[in-house]
Amino acid sequence: MATIHDEIDIWLTADLHGELSNNERSALHAHLVDCTVCRKTHQEIKNMNIILEETLATEKPDPVFEQRMLAGFRNRVPQRSGLVKLLVDLMHLRATQIAAVAAVLLGLIQIGRMITGEPVTARRERERYVADQFAAQPSQAPASGAARSGALAKSAEVAAGHPQGLALKEPPPPAPAQSKDEERARAEVERTIVTGSNVPATAEEIAQAPVQEPAAALANRKLIRNATVELEIISFDNAVQKITAFASDEHGYVATTNSEKQANGKLRGQVVIKVLPEDLDRFLQKIRSLGELKNQTLGTEDVSKAYFDTDARLKNAHVMEQRLIDMLKTKTGKVSDLLQVEKELGRVREEIEKMQGELKYWDSQIQFATVTISLAEKDMEEPAAFLLKERAQLSLYTPDVEKIYNEAKSLASPKVQITNAQLNRDYSGRVSAQLSMLIAPEESDAVIGHVKGFGRVENFQTQTQRIAQGGSGMSENARTKRDKMELNVTISREEQEQAFQQTSLRIRTASVDEKAKELRTFAEKQGGRVRSSTFSRDPDGREVANVSLRVPLKNYPALMQSLDSLGKVQNVSVQRQDRTEVQVDESNAPADISIQVYSQGNIVTEESGLLATLRRTLAQSASAIMWSLRMVGVAIAFLAPWVIALLLGVWVTVRIIRARQSKT
Amino acid sequence: MDPSERQQYRAAIRGDRDAFEMIIRTHSRTLFAITYGILQSREEAEDVVQDSLVKAWKTRWRVRDPEKFPAWLATIARHKARDVFRKRRTVPLPEQMTEPIEPGPPNTSALDHRLRSALATLPELHRAALTLRYFEEMDYRTIENTLGLTNGALRGILGRALASMRKQLRPALASMD
Repeated sequence: MATIHDEIDIWLTADLHGELSNNERSALHAHLVDCTVCRKTHQEIKNMNIILEETLATEKPDPVFEQRMLAGFRNRVPQRSGLVKLLVDLMHLRATQIAAVAAVLLGLIQIGRMITGEPVTARRERERYVADQFAAQPSQAPASGAARSGALAKSAEVAAGHPQGLALKEPPPPAPAQSKDEERARAEVERTIVTGSNVPATAEEIAQAPVQEPAAALANRKLIRNATVELEIISFDNAVQKITAFASDEHGYVATTNSEKQANGKLRGQVVIKVLPEDLDRFLQKIRSLGELKNQTLGTEDVSKAYFDTDARLKNAHVMEQRLIDMLKTKTGKVSDLLQVEKELGRVREEIEKMQGELKYWDSQIQFATVTISLAEKDMEEPAAFLLKERAQLSLYTPDVEKIYNEAKSLASPKVQITNAQLNRDYSGRVSAQLSMLIAPEESDAVIGHVKGFGRVENFQTQTQRIAQGGSGMSENARTKRDKMELNVTISREEQEQAFQQTSLRIRTASVDEKAKELRTFAEKQGGRVRSSTFSRDPDGREVANVSLRVPLKNYPALMQSLDSLGKVQNVSVQRQDRTEVQVDESNAPADISIQVYSQGNIVTEESGLLATLRRTLAQSASAIMWSLRMVGVAIAFLAPWVIALLLGVWVTVRIIRARQSKT
Repeated sequence: MDPSERQQYRAAIRGDRDAFEMIIRTHSRTLFAITYGILQSREEAEDVVQDSLVKAWKTRWRVRDPEKFPAWLATIARHKARDVFRKRRTVPLPEQMTEPIEPGPPNTSALDHRLRSALATLPELHRAALTLRYFEEMDYRTIENTLGLTNGALRGILGRALASMRKQLRPALASMD
C-alpha cells in the first residue's frame, strides 16, 4: 500500500482543496513534521496552488458570459411558432416515432404485396374488377356466353341457358338411331340436290325457275354437265345390262363400255352413258341402286363465252366467204390475184368447217350429259392363288466334315440346285461347311432324308410361308402351289458339338496306370472316344490319371456300370443341358465323362517324418535364438547413448560436490 | 438531486425553452471551464460552449434520464472541444514549450507563460478537472459527476496534475519563497 510519502502530491493537493478528512489531515501533518523532503514539497505545492489561482482567475469568464451565451443561443435557435413547435415536439415523442416506424413498415408490406401479387388484397382487387366489368357491360355477357356455347360441345345446361342463340346457330341434331351409312347417303343426296338446284342446266328448268331476272341471263348459257360414279357391284354383266336399260328409259344411250378380267376372275370396267341433262339427276338416283356407291362427282362446265365467240367468228367467216365468192364471180384482175383469192377462200372455208365442227361438238356435249360409271365386282382384292414357300435349316455333326461336304455336293441335279457351298477351315484346324440348295418340291422330302443320313442331326427347322398372289387376304377357291424348297445345311465336326450331358467322377484304385488303360478299352467298346488323357505321379507316390471321354448318350448307362469294376467311384456329378429350342436326337447326343483315376500316396510323407520334424524343430529354435539376439542388440543400441549421458552427468556432479567439500 | 432541478431538466428535454435557457444560465460556466481547460483559449472555448448548447437543444430528446442531463451536456462540450483541439493540432506547437525553463526571478508574464506551457503538457482530462476546480471551485464530488468519473478518482488526477506542474515549475516555485 502506498504511503503518504509516496503520494505526497496527492495528499497535499487534497489538503489544499479541503478534501481530506480530519484523520487524513492529522496523519499528513504528522508525516510533514517528520519528513523534510515532504515539507519542501508542501511548500512548492502551496506556491503552485497560488500561481494557479492567480493565473486562472484572470481567465475566468466575465460577468455577462451567461447573457452572451443566452443571446447566442436565441440567435442561433429562433423561437418557433405554435404549430411548428408542436409538430417538432410531437416528432420527438417516443410514441410518435414508434407510430411512424409502424406506419412505414405497414406501407412497405402493402407495397410488397402489390409487387408480388399476393392473393389477400390482389384477389379482392380482381374480384372487384370483374364485378365492375360485368356491371359496365351487362348486354355483352349473355352474347359472349352464347358464342362460347356455340364453340363448345352442345352441353345440356348451356343449351338450356341460351336456347335461342343455339337454335339460330346450330342445325337440328340428327336422330341418334340413324346409322352411319344412312347419314352419309343423306349427305350425298343433299350435296347433289344443292348442286343441281343452284345451277339450272336446261332451258326448261330455267323457264320453271321462279326468279325471272337471272333466268333471262341463264337462258343463253351453254353448259356441259358430266358426272362420274364409282360403284361396287356383285356381277359386272348384270350391272351393265341394267345400266343400259336405265339409259334407254331416260332417252340416253351407252357411249362406250370396257371391261377387264383380273387374275382372280373378277371383272372391272367402265361404262360411259349419255343422257339428257334434265334426266341426269334421276338417272344417277337409279344407278345407285345397283350396288354400293364408292364415289360420285357431279360437275358443270360453262362454255358460253367460247361458244358465242366461235359462233360470232363463224358468222364473220361466212361473210368473208361470200365476199371472196363475189370477187371470183366478177373475174376481173390478174390470174395471180385470182389464185390468191382462191387460196384465201380455201383457208376461210377450212376455218368455217373447223368452227362448225367445234360448235357441233359443243352442241352434242351440251345436249347430252356424260356419265362415266366405274364398276368393280366385290372382293376385287381376293387372291388368285397361293404359293407355298418352304425353308429348312439343318445342322449336322460328323467326324469327317469334308467327306460329307463332298457327298452333299454330289446330290446336285436339275431338280436339286446348289446355290451356295462353303467349306471353312480355321487356324486351329477346325472344319465346318455350309451348303444352301434349292430343291424341286417333289424331290424335297427325299433329299432332306438323304442329307439327314449323313451324320448326327442336331437341329432341324422347317418354315412354311403361304404367299397370296394377285391380291391379299383369304380365298376359298384359290389354288395352292408348292414352290421350290430352300435348304440350308451346316456341317460341323463332332468335337465342336457341345455335350448334351457332362459327368465328372473320381475313381480310387491302387494301380492307376493299369486301370486307366482298362477304362479306355471300355470306352471304345461302348462306341466312345477318348478326347484327352493325362497321367502324373507326385513325390508322395500319389498317381493321378485324368481321362476325358465322349460316348453317345444311349451307351452312357452301360459305360457307367462298367466303371464300378475299376475301383471305388466317388464324387459323381452330372450336368445336363436340356436344349428345348432345338430338336435333338437324344440317343445319339454326345455325353462327356471326365474321370480322375487316382491312388492314395504314402501315409506319412518324407517331409513329415520323425527325423524331418526334429530337424525342422532345431532349425526353428536356432533361428528364434538368433532373432532374440538381434532384438537385444537393437535394445542396447537404443538405450546406450542415454545411459552413457546419464552416467557422465552423475559422475560430473559427484566430482563437483567432492571438490566443494574439499574446499570447505 | 434536487426535485425542482430534475423537474427543470425534464421540462427542457420535453422542449420547454424557458427551462433550457435557465439551464444555460446555470451551467454555461461549468461548460466553459471544461472547454477552456481543454483548449486553453477563451474565444475558442466560448464558441465551443455555444455550439454545444445548440447541439444539446437539437438533440435533447435523446436523453432518457433527466438526472444525467448535466453530465450529458458536459460530454457534448468535451467532445466538441476535443474535435476543435485535434483540428488545431496540425499547427506546430510553439517553440518555447521545448525550451528548458531557466531559473531566475519570478516574472509575472514569464511565469504565466511557463504555467501555460506546463498546463499544455497535461492530459485534457486533467486540464478540464483543474479548470473546473480553479474556475468554479467545485468540490471533488461534483467535478467527478460532471466529468463522469468514478468516485475518488479525481483526487489522484488533480494530485498528479499538480505534481507534474510543480516539477516543471520548480525553479520558479523555489524562488518564490
